[in-house]
Amino acid sequence: MKDRIPIRIANKRAYIWDVDDLMKIRSEHHMCGLLVGTLPHLSQQNVFLGIPSQLMPEEAALLVEKELAIFIDDTNAYPEPSLSQFKKWNDQQRQYIKHQQTILESDNIKPPEVAQRAMSEEAIRKRKERELKRQQKAQELKKLEEQARDASEQSVFVPAVDDAVSPSSRPDTPSISAPASYNISITAPSSSLDWYSPDSVSFSTIEAAKEAGIWDFPSDLHDRARYGVFKDLWEQGFFMGGGIRFGGDYLVYPGDPLRYHSHFCATVIESPTHAINPMEIVAHGRLGTATKKTHLFCGWHDQKKKVSYLSIEWAGFG
Amino acid sequence: MEIHPSYPVLASLVEKYPAYRGSLFQTYNDILLAQQWRDVGVLDLGDVCRRGAIQGRRPKTAANADALLHIVPCSLAESISLAWINDVFVALGDPPSIYLAVASDDSSIVYYKLSSGIVKPSV
Repeated sequence: MKDRIPIRIANKRAYIWDVDDLMKIRSEHHMCGLLVGTLPHLSQQNVFLGIPSQLMPEEAALLVEKELAIFIDDTNAYPEPSLSQFKKWNDQQRQYIKHQQTILESDNIKPPEVAQRAMSEEAIRKRKERELKRQQKAQELKKLEEQARDASEQSVFVPAVDDAVSPSSRPDTPSISAPASYNISITAPSSSLDWYSPDSVSFSTIEAAKEAGIWDFPSDLHDRARYGVFKDLWEQGFFMGGGIRFGGDYLVYPGDPLRYHSHFCATVIESPTHAINPMEIVAHGRLGTATKKTHLFCGWHDQKKKVSYLSIEWAGFG
Repeated sequence: MEIHPSYPVLASLVEKYPAYRGSLFQTYNDILLAQQWRDVGVLDLGDVCRRGAIQGRRPKTAANADALLHIVPCSLAESISLAWINDVFVALGDPPSIYLAVASDDSSIVYYKLSSGIVKPSV
């Protein structure tokens, strides 16, 4: 049980919260999941996603069935902390706040060498030069302004010098008031809390998790067909991803999706007698040809618990 | 249909399976006259599949032109199933692939290659 990957269940969905587990699932068990965590401050963005990774129900169920992972009822894995546990946690928080404050204070004092540099002869000379240049420029501008004023008095058609460009109205270059760098500490996962106790809410089989009411896949014929097809393809070494981009149930990759294009788009068909409209064959077949993918009809036989495959391609004529 | 030059070849199948006479007639003529296949003939798929099929070889210029291929006609309006497709494979002696001809009422027709098992796309 100990070396199995914990799959955290919340609201009947399966999540992986640990990056190492994610890597293991991907490299050893060739499943990908889908990163769904957003940044706390930009919860609307969906470009840069991180942990947790949400597993497809098929992936989660298969990992548990193959005894590679266990389900944990995440909601009930955190009982009320005891008084001493809470005290300890509270002390740690206070210490941490203190630690932050000392860092902040030490940042505000300028290191001595910087102060010295500001007072060196070289620096003083440069400062004087800059001051001189500034004064010269201001004088020149004043002259120009006066000339312009004279001109505008002579003729109404000469536009007056726009005040906005004059140096007096321009805001000063902001001094070094940009915020100093922050230390952001990323909190440890909540599973490191003292009172985290998953043992009583861990389930090593799908049936046990179903009985506990935290999981229900696969529940009907449609689910069994999906699960059966997924498992059969997985056992042949394929990687599966969601097929929505190409109108199927799965995209089937010969290796890690980061390295390979998918060769197949798969549709799950619940039973051999399930009606297929010839138009589906045409639509899937032609899209597949245009995207260099064969479309797979994966027929599930619920009595035999077997899958039969049919590959569809445009014939190349007609 | 009866006065068309193709009719004598198709007559027995047309009479035996009248429900599929339209798609068979249309597919046979398209394969023979438009696609210019060679050695075109018809087959009876028997009691399970209950329709006629077509076999032949692609034109000399096509890749792998000498292979004997099988074409099963169906109408766009009918509903088929994986079990039926499997029966067709069995009736034809389990070839690696068959061609499904989908015929529509306006006489347009498309062909799709169905292979049993997981077959990688040809590149």
